Amino acid sequence: MDHIDMDRLKTGEVNLGTSIMAVQFDGGVVVGADSRTTTGSYIANRVTDKLTHVHDRIYCCRSGSAADTQAIADAVYYHCQILTQIHGAPPSVAATAASFAKLCYENKDTLSAGIIVGGWDNEVGPSVYNIPLGGGLFRQPWAIGGSGSTYVYGYCDATYQDGWGRDETVEFVKNTLALAMSRDGSSGGVIRMCVITEEGVERLFVPGNQLPKFWEGKEVLSTPLKKTSENAPAPMLIE
Amino acid sequence: MVGKDCVAIASDLRLGTQALGISSNFQRVPVSHFSRVCPSLTICQVFPITDRLYVGLPGLGTDVTTLYERFRYRVNMYTIKEEREIHPETFTHMVSSTLYEHRFGPYFIEPVVAGLSKLPTGGLKPFIAAMDLIGCINFAKDFVVAGTASSKLYGVAEGLWEPDLEPEDLFETISQTLLNAVDRDAFSGWGAVVHVITKDRVISRTLKARMD
Amino acid sequence: MYRSSGFDFSNSIRNHSLAEKGLPLPKVTSTGTTIVGCVFKDGIILGADTRATEGPIVADKNCEKIHYISESIRCCGAGTAADTEFVTATISSNMDLHALSTGRKPRVVTAMTLLKQHLFRYQGHVGAALVLGGVDVTGPQLFTIHPHGSTDKLPYVTMGSGSLAAMAIFESSWQPNMTREQALQLVTTAISAGIFNDLGSGSNVDACIITATGTEMLRNFVKPNERVEKERKYTFRRGATAWKSESIRKLIVNEQVTPVAGEAMDVS
Repeated sequence: MDHIDMDRLKTGEVNLGTSIMAVQFDGGVVVGADSRTTTGSYIANRVTDKLTHVHDRIYCCRSGSAADTQAIADAVYYHCQILTQIHGAPPSVAATAASFAKLCYENKDTLSAGIIVGGWDNEVGPSVYNIPLGGGLFRQPWAIGGSGSTYVYGYCDATYQDGWGRDETVEFVKNTLALAMSRDGSSGGVIRMCVITEEGVERLFVPGNQLPKFWEGKEVLSTPLKKTSENAPAPMLIE
Repeated sequence: MVGKDCVAIASDLRLGTQALGISSNFQRVPVSHFSRVCPSLTICQVFPITDRLYVGLPGLGTDVTTLYERFRYRVNMYTIKEEREIHPETFTHMVSSTLYEHRFGPYFIEPVVAGLSKLPTGGLKPFIAAMDLIGCINFAKDFVVAGTASSKLYGVAEGLWEPDLEPEDLFETISQTLLNAVDRDAFSGWGAVVHVITKDRVISRTLKARMD
Repeated sequence: MYRSSGFDFSNSIRNHSLAEKGLPLPKVTSTGTTIVGCVFKDGIILGADTRATEGPIVADKNCEKIHYISESIRCCGAGTAADTEFVTATISSNMDLHALSTGRKPRVVTAMTLLKQHLFRYQGHVGAALVLGGVDVTGPQLFTIHPHGSTDKLPYVTMGSGSLAAMAIFESSWQPNMTREQALQLVTTAISAGIFNDLGSGSNVDACIITATGTEMLRNFVKPNERVEKERKYTFRRGATAWKSESIRKLIVNEQVTPVAGEAMDVS
């Protein structure tokens, strides 16, 4: 559905082969992303910030072409400023997401952008919108996107539950992204997260050496089949 | 090529459609006469712009004529408006921006500019420059080359050129560079012309060259 | 003759038909380059090699790849040489106009935004890969801009065909809060890595140090590839070249105005 079609990217274009995510909870929204930007097989930026500020309480997660998504985010940022001036109040997440969807839909032939919008507003509180490749607009309690997301749909389906608090949601986002990053070659680096609540936006950062660890396999060759006697020579260490 | 207080610009005279030769003296043939033959004629032509400024336009025949007329018009307008002669540097930038304007549908021309530019003190400084077909300027201090034989010219010029050559020595160096490179380029040849520009005169010579 | 501003596509159809008839587009000059930028304690250092290539041929052995944007903002260019040259010149001009109309010193983000919007508009067809650096009211700023218009903000960056060689140096030796000397040494090493290990890069090291107090352009800071002087001369004896005809045009060297006797005309 929102899997990034690599053929749509022009050759040599900078790509956010990404794992991005946004989850809604009672008091707010947690948005998260990995930090890898690639041009072919070269990592152009290993500490990218794919969580882009669009308004005081609205952030977007970008996936697809870096140039396209930056241009869209800049345009929406500008649009939000105008909405604020016209209405004298911050725009709703729905209006902002609709602005994203409009750009993505009307220029679907030239853009490759998969965007997730998350934020908090006065009308509905926290909300998450998914805008996949063709420019559709879907409100979801949680959304994942980018090339890494395909590996973790099952995990999310099995794990997510209603009624979580902030800390459980942050933990869920962190674990999901770590799993996606470990399986997807074009995702990786560090995890960046934002907790958006009525009170404000809190940025969280997980360095690459402190990512949550899961079962990573064990050395099969060095493990003897059955217990050998103590006199036997020690097995060769591989590694 | 740059010499001591002088510059030289040289070119061959062949006009051809790929492998077929059409004229060995392009300058005298009326344009309409051959423009019907084939549009993909490749030639090189050296034109005077001011007394001490020459431009060489190697490339597609139709573009050589079009661009030369365009530059002639713009230089005339410049001279009238500014009431002074155009400087080689200014002219080079004019050529460059004209070419870049056609960035996405270029003229098939790689111009070479050679001249003496006036210093504020009243002295003259040798100036040469070359451009690619979309107007990227190469301000060299020694020599520049362009056209179908450019890859051969690079090697010969790199070996023969040396600094501070007197006009007559520069003539020998540029002539031998051109003749020897052109003899190894199937698409160039059929005679050659050399202009040596010095402070008080411009010497133009047609060389004795292979005609095959 | 009126010509509207912007690119002229009038030759496109002709060139397309010429290409079909077997006249391919000649090669354009590109800068298969190593360019880098690096933040240090008091500002930014930009670095570049000086080789321009035309396919496999070295078109220029000592070209300038660090372009002027404003007094305290400079930009290194890689990719299609004409594009980097003109795109930086255009933005430099627009920055001047912007500074004049706002009455403020130009910021690096302003240049970055102008550049990315220009490049995005041309969807990668304007092939300029840039490293933009400078110091403004908000402090030292360093960006990379890719041909399609995406930007990154990092403390050390590399671009061009030699970017991998240069990045290897930065990744192993860069540290925060370096002194000017340390940073200049690091930038020089990174460019040298490109010059010696990347075929598209070569010749000399150019560097540019930008701090709040001023900008220092170090043209040909290191010249590790100077050509040894020729042992013998190859000058031909005068008269070596046979020529058929000669025409000499005598030029006016200086004019002398001699006043003719008589009273000057009254022009009051």
